[in-house]
Amino acid sequence: MTAVSSVLDTLRQLTRVCGMAGAALWAYRLRSAFVVAAIALGISSLTVIVASIDGAERKARQIVEMFGPDTAFVLGGDIESRAVGQRTLTLSYEDARSIRAELPGVYLVVPMRARSNVTVHYGDRRMDLPTVVGSTAGYAEVWNWPLAEGRDFSEEDVERGAKVALIGDTPARELFGDASPLGYTILVDKLPVQIIGRLAYRGVAGMGPPVDDRIILPITTLTQRFNLNRKYFRALRVKFTDPENMDFHVENLRSLLRRLHNLAPGDKDDFTILTADEILKFLSMFKGGLLLFLGITAAVAMVVGGFVLANLFYLSVSERRTEIGLKKALGAKSQAILQQFLAEAVGLTLIGALFGMALGMGMGQLLERLDILQILFSWKVFVYSVAAAVAIGLLFGLKPARQAAALPPVEALKGL
Amino acid sequence: MSGANALIRLEGMSKTYQQGELTVEVLKGIDLQIAAGEFVALQGPSGSGKSTLMHLLGLLDRPSAGRYWLQGEDVAGLDDDRLSELRNRLIGFLFQTFYLVPYLSALENVVLPGLYSPGSARHLRHRAEELLVQVGLGDRLHFKPTQLSGGQQQRVALARALVNDPQVLLADEPTGQLDSATSAEIMELIAGIHRQGRTVVLVTHDAPTAACAERSIFLHDGRVVRA
Repeated sequence: MTAVSSVLDTLRQLTRVCGMAGAALWAYRLRSAFVVAAIALGISSLTVIVASIDGAERKARQIVEMFGPDTAFVLGGDIESRAVGQRTLTLSYEDARSIRAELPGVYLVVPMRARSNVTVHYGDRRMDLPTVVGSTAGYAEVWNWPLAEGRDFSEEDVERGAKVALIGDTPARELFGDASPLGYTILVDKLPVQIIGRLAYRGVAGMGPPVDDRIILPITTLTQRFNLNRKYFRALRVKFTDPENMDFHVENLRSLLRRLHNLAPGDKDDFTILTADEILKFLSMFKGGLLLFLGITAAVAMVVGGFVLANLFYLSVSERRTEIGLKKALGAKSQAILQQFLAEAVGLTLIGALFGMALGMGMGQLLERLDILQILFSWKVFVYSVAAAVAIGLLFGLKPARQAAALPPVEALKGL
Repeated sequence: MSGANALIRLEGMSKTYQQGELTVEVLKGIDLQIAAGEFVALQGPSGSGKSTLMHLLGLLDRPSAGRYWLQGEDVAGLDDDRLSELRNRLIGFLFQTFYLVPYLSALENVVLPGLYSPGSARHLRHRAEELLVQVGLGDRLHFKPTQLSGGQQQRVALARALVNDPQVLLADEPTGQLDSATSAEIMELIAGIHRQGRTVVLVTHDAPTAACAERSIFLHDGRVVRA
């Protein structure tokens, strides 16, 4: 009974103290606005960080999904020594054939070549494309990229070097609007090709270049008609039947390629094998870097906000000495004074958190529009921001509040 | 007057301050008794220690030596929280400069002591309104202190001093900043409070003001010279 009533007393006391804190904050609203602004800046950067890290994670999952867990991607050249001008054309048709023939568990091997910066024409419409991709039969299947309409390349298309093409969503829209491009002939640079299939819109943006603005030709057509190196290609996509044993398959693939390329033990690989796992590893490194960089920024911003708070509160305590002394004379215990100043501090930081979240979301939208970062807002953002705000309020408000609470009533009333 | 029944009883109370190297003895062994329901004026020239004595009587400060019984309770050694409780429940204060919280309305100022004691908010507000009506400010409940004259501000302070229904009213030069007409009005209100049965201790250096009291205690140089 007494326990219950003392809890109720405490609650009532806290409610009253919060009421007083509110009145004081409103009375000193200019000063309050400064604190709110300082805290809002810190919280907004925190908001952006949490949201962009979540965005990066979602992005990673999308990429893995697109990549497919059963796929290894072999690039010519060693990705780590690319910058030193190493030869990147190291993968040959012989390699592709050997992998297909000798490696167990493989069910698809697709060599890839690409040519960059081409222009496509249809009638009087034209469009510049960053890439034309060369592919063997079954492009859509290897890339887990469904066709919106039409058909994929057949073995025959590739053997003959047929003048056929798959078209990405962006050029299809650009050249044909909403009409179906199937069966029409377009010019890729000067080569007329007939469109046999349209790829579905994929739209994964943010991390890499856009993927929908491409045209795919049979790899033979691309090498012959665009005068590319006929022996080597840039990349090779290998699909395995059982994704559970990817590590094992990747090791087999590596040793097979090393043997085919006559690499002595101790030589570095002249190719790079990427899997979904590798990409995830890279992304988590990227995420870590993002966290560190933005985290330091946000921490600095919030500490600055905290110091602004502490500063203005010291000022407040000395300016409101008589108010503190009076309240003590009227029967306020030290604890009530402490609570009031802490309530003022936390109240301000919470308001700052709300403004900061709004500001952060605005900045996030902007970053997303500009394709700099992908942002994902969630309850997590809200919870982190509120927790950080309360922590700053308590941490930086505590000392001034203690100082206020410790003032002896007579000293405080004299006002100094 | 029998000492055992005194509301306020001081024995050998002294107060010293440290000013650098110098020790200043402001009160030098005060013995004093005030009975419940008395109206006492504390008189003396400035520097005589009457304000310090009032701070000690009001539990705003602690004596350096001596003993103090308030309502029979030895209060000289109590902790801060207990002193806050006693001030809140037993003592109402009036100050020369009123000490109203500048950003609160008259009503909010009057309610203040009640916020630090148990009791329902509705009852508290009702009582505060009633008191403001009694001091003649029923039409100015929501005025800020800056919108009120000095006399009106002291009336608000008076209502505030009474809101927790204390036994003792301690008034430190309550008319010191007011003109004589307004002073007379305030003194009339204070006399009324005494007539309600409360004990009033009035600190003043002004003889006509002290004349309202039933008894005067004269301080000089930290000692009671005439009680």
